[in-house]
Amino acid sequence: MEMDEPSTNWVVGVDVGGTFTDFYAFERSSKTIRVHKTPSTPDNPANAIIAGLEHLGESGSVPLEAVTRLAHGTTVATNALIQRKGGTVAVVTTRGFRDLLEIGRQVRPKMYDLKADYPPPLANREHRFEITERIGAEGEIITPLDESEIDALVEQIRAINAQACAVCLLFSYANAEHEQRIGEILRARLPDVAISLSSEVQPEFREFERFSTTLLNTYLQPVLNSYMNHLENELARLSPDAHVGINQSSGGLMSIERARSFPIRTALSGPAAGAMGAIHVAELAERPDIITLDMGGTSADVALIRNYEAGLSFERDVAGFPVRLPMVDINTVGAGGGSIAWFDRDGLVKVGPLSAGAVPGPACYSRGGTEPTVTDANAVLGRLSVRGLLDGAMTLDVEASRKVIQPLADQMGFSVEKTAQGMLGIVTANMVRAIRAISVERGHDPRDCTLMPFGGAGPLHANAVAKALGVSEVIVPLSPGILCAQGLVVADLKEDFVRSHRAPLTQESLAALQDILDDLVEEAQRWFEHEQIAPKQRRIQLSLDMRYIGQNFELRVPIDIDESNPKLPDAEQLHKAFFRAHEANYGFHNPDDPVEAVNLRMTARGELPSLPIPPVPEGASSSPDPVERRPVWFEAEEAVETPVYRRTDLAPGCRIEGPAVIDQFDATLLVYPGDVARVDDSLSLILELAK
Amino acid sequence: MTTDSLASDAVRRELDPITLEIISNALRSVADEMFAALMRSAYSTNIKERHDHSTAFCDRAGRLIVQADQSLPIHIASMTGLMQTLLSKYDLSEIEEGDVFVANDPHVAGGTHLPDINLAEPVFVEGELLGFICNIAHHADVGGMAPGSMAGGMSEIYQEGLRIPLIRLFRKGELQRDLFDLMLLNVRIPEERRGDYYAQIAACRLGVRRMKEIAGRYSCEMLNAAFDEIVSRTEFRMREVLKEIPDGVYSFEDVMDDDGVGTTDIPIRLTITAKGGELTFDFRETAPQVAGNINLPRNASQAAVVYALKALLDPEVPNNQGILNCCEILTKEGTLLHCVFPAPVAARANTSQRVVDVIIGALADALPDRVVGAANGANTTAVFAGVDPRTQQHYLYFETLGGGFGGRADRDGKDGVQVHITNTSNLPIEAIETEYPLRVESYGFVEDSGGAGRYRGGLGLRRVIRPVGHDCIFNGAGERFTHQPWGVFGGQSGMSGRFQHVNEAGDVMLLDVKPSGIKVSRDDALVVETPGSGGYGDPKTRAPQQVREDLSSGKFSAEFISRHYGEVKETET
Repeated sequence: MEMDEPSTNWVVGVDVGGTFTDFYAFERSSKTIRVHKTPSTPDNPANAIIAGLEHLGESGSVPLEAVTRLAHGTTVATNALIQRKGGTVAVVTTRGFRDLLEIGRQVRPKMYDLKADYPPPLANREHRFEITERIGAEGEIITPLDESEIDALVEQIRAINAQACAVCLLFSYANAEHEQRIGEILRARLPDVAISLSSEVQPEFREFERFSTTLLNTYLQPVLNSYMNHLENELARLSPDAHVGINQSSGGLMSIERARSFPIRTALSGPAAGAMGAIHVAELAERPDIITLDMGGTSADVALIRNYEAGLSFERDVAGFPVRLPMVDINTVGAGGGSIAWFDRDGLVKVGPLSAGAVPGPACYSRGGTEPTVTDANAVLGRLSVRGLLDGAMTLDVEASRKVIQPLADQMGFSVEKTAQGMLGIVTANMVRAIRAISVERGHDPRDCTLMPFGGAGPLHANAVAKALGVSEVIVPLSPGILCAQGLVVADLKEDFVRSHRAPLTQESLAALQDILDDLVEEAQRWFEHEQIAPKQRRIQLSLDMRYIGQNFELRVPIDIDESNPKLPDAEQLHKAFFRAHEANYGFHNPDDPVEAVNLRMTARGELPSLPIPPVPEGASSSPDPVERRPVWFEAEEAVETPVYRRTDLAPGCRIEGPAVIDQFDATLLVYPGDVARVDDSLSLILELAK
Repeated sequence: MTTDSLASDAVRRELDPITLEIISNALRSVADEMFAALMRSAYSTNIKERHDHSTAFCDRAGRLIVQADQSLPIHIASMTGLMQTLLSKYDLSEIEEGDVFVANDPHVAGGTHLPDINLAEPVFVEGELLGFICNIAHHADVGGMAPGSMAGGMSEIYQEGLRIPLIRLFRKGELQRDLFDLMLLNVRIPEERRGDYYAQIAACRLGVRRMKEIAGRYSCEMLNAAFDEIVSRTEFRMREVLKEIPDGVYSFEDVMDDDGVGTTDIPIRLTITAKGGELTFDFRETAPQVAGNINLPRNASQAAVVYALKALLDPEVPNNQGILNCCEILTKEGTLLHCVFPAPVAARANTSQRVVDVIIGALADALPDRVVGAANGANTTAVFAGVDPRTQQHYLYFETLGGGFGGRADRDGKDGVQVHITNTSNLPIEAIETEYPLRVESYGFVEDSGGAGRYRGGLGLRRVIRPVGHDCIFNGAGERFTHQPWGVFGGQSGMSGRFQHVNEAGDVMLLDVKPSGIKVSRDDALVVETPGSGGYGDPKTRAPQQVREDLSSGKFSAEFISRHYGEVKETET
């Protein structure tokens, strides 16, 4: 056993989901992989992590003292926001603007709904304090900071017992001096209060989004801090040598220390890990352009990967609040196994977003579910094995599924099977719409991509989604149910830097941009040193946000640079890059109109050695026998007798022609009639769809 | 318009509720994609940041089939108005692939005011006309007497800007450059307008391409059947919910402040008759149209009725022709809500807001749990124009500000939001000051402006702006500056709004409700205060905890609290 060898070196990825906490443990020298699932413990997610690690340790499969790295995807931040678990938070802002965080963009979330509201701000009005100071658009000081007001401010923050404080001043992205000074004094005089400065959290133009991001960040600081302390203490006991990395929403790990300062960066930690896992699988299979479809019990997350990189978005809502930060561009739609079918008031059939969840769950789970769900539709169509998932730990009651779908079928005069096919058609359309939003609406043609389904329900719906998008190839990872945890093991250490600098894009103005680039490079170098990343593993990437003068939304345009001597290309090349991006995104560009630069962004990465190809399971064969045959309804009205294979029986080179069902521990894959499935050398299953 | 049918009954019967949902889904996707594309590629702040635009598809009978999720209610009126004009002006055989129609005029082209530029492009599938891609964008200027084309003080439509009847901007894919030059010459800051036109055209092209893709999956016959079904099912759904209004006759009256050119206290009168779900909205007793620019074209009045019904009864009902068909609306030509040439209409959104309040007021007894106190009832508009001393370029900063949203049956109103028919964003302070030579001195709530009630009304907004290093011109349009937003079921009225001009010495001058051409000198400040809104229910029944929060948040003064709620007990739990 590897355990006896002193040189073993385990890396563990832990993804905390709503229902399960998943583990993917890997040892490099022996190429050993261990996976594990344990129920999540929402009250303190660290408990499930510790329990899972102890299980891996006790079962002897992972020697915990030999764990050198623990990479963690966490939902603690998002949950704390949804449940508003944080404490009292103060805000310090420019005089005249304390209501700004509450006014937001002066809009209602739903135009026609008289009762729908955005959530109230995380800091009450009486906890938002104004200070005399003002900075102008060019960063010039219009009114100097009145430091004499700070004493009173400190007293006020003390008086309300604030655990955290956000410092949010106008134009601090252009000049952070005042924020820094206030931060310095508050940090010195209120050592127990967590302080976030908007110029540190995200120094970007547009005050409400920046303030909101900063307020969320500071609100989360105490919550994440106590969680991290607990986790660190427990880990020190189990795996004293383990470095902990926390996955960020933009994909890539940060240290616990950075996570403590910038907890809002973990808002999309888990889903971003899925994208990292997908990229890893894509690299092994040499498929650079991927659409991911992570379908679970209540929702589906979709994302676009181009040239092995996940698309990023820079603004999204988290628990009803705008957050402006680089985040993997994931679109979530209420389409999961538990999504419920219903008749709308106009007689159209809808599926979701309401979900039966884990309890009562789909009717076929026999936990009291009485509504027709997507999983029930799959069950009556013979697409799921009656002995169920998780190696038979959960069997399915197909009759119960028929019973809940029957009323829907009766109302339309359809058979139960045709109704079930229709339900799946609708859930497919919903997912396709979500995918179009992150591909077509961003100027990317999904037909050039490979679809990668994962999560428990993804592989079941891959064929239908792919066909609706015009995608001809599907790739199913070896462990679709645990891809997020796997993604954590392969994630790089990463840090994003940004500077706002608005200037017309001319040869003359490039000097100032080059100075900023030099600063960013220096900042990145400091980060590399601090994170102890070896020089040959250091990578930097540059992008410039540009727009036509007069436009208010920027396009992020990647700029190729020589990493050893980072220099901006000339203005003409930058223009060309912008025109290409504009053409791709909006279908046109005007070569004569003036262009301006808005933000310079740099991503620094510490690349980790990549995972090797997993070993072939024992007993796998390139010509496996089916374990059973059963009738399955695909697209036709009649069922076809269909062989069922076990994924663990399939070795590289194996080729299966549809119709077929491939079962694995926590997922089921359908090979439609006419489709062909092949197992590649990395054990991914590549599905070529019938034309 | 009656629900005519494009497809045979046999084809319609083939369309099951599942296929129909999948087709609807695809259509929604097209409308939303166009909306996003237009927003992202437009030049002007008004579209990019404030989303003052809409996108839609209409079938070949001119019926609205799908509208982007975020489209504005009042734009429904302009789109259907445009389609009606198009189909009556042209024979279908005259419409060709690659044509792009443009219009804005409310009197001859179905528009609701001149800044809303409407575009429509036909979608042909194998030579057959399937329908029209439409979009609307509010251009920040369309020429006329005052920068921004929205100021008060005008008395006929010619003063409000360039009138575009329904014309072809593209013929068979060919831009009519002469026309385009003429259109751009007549507006301020033509470069920006041109960018916005390009964005609108690109969105049309995109929509046409997408509709053709859909037609590649479903036949035109099947799509026509789907259009029939979508409209008739929505109409059915809407008629079903209308039955929730008990039979009866419901009347209400509210009064507009003024028209900006001398007419004050202009009544809007409504009588609703409900019988077994058949509703008639009779506005015929409303005041005659006025010389000022707050007149509503009839189709805008219809849009306000449809908004109110949808918001009160079924917010999730899809926006298509079906909701426009669901009730009868009676108006009289030549009145405020059915104006005729040469009525100016630029500030018609204020009147739309008031029509919504009037409908809600009328239906209070019929739908006590659904109605809300009167909202700020305005679309308070502030326009600053001048020459930027940094660049010597002309600039134009246009914005509409939110205000109070009325108290509700189970919760307080909202402070400082856009209400009812408008939901446009504000412009970030950091955007205003970067783009214009202006300084925003403060931006916050107006204390005590929400009417007291069991559930209080929302607060109005105050913004103080100074020109930097130059003198500028201010134009504004307010409403509910003299007539306060009322409460319901004992809820109190909210405060009115106002415009104030503060000079160098600090003297405060109260401006007109619809001021025009006000010179603001470099050391002056201009204060915009928008109205609050009415409360819901008797203030005496307000929970003590909420009264304490009103006080501790500083949103209400101690004096206000004691006047409306009596003494507040400090320690009650």
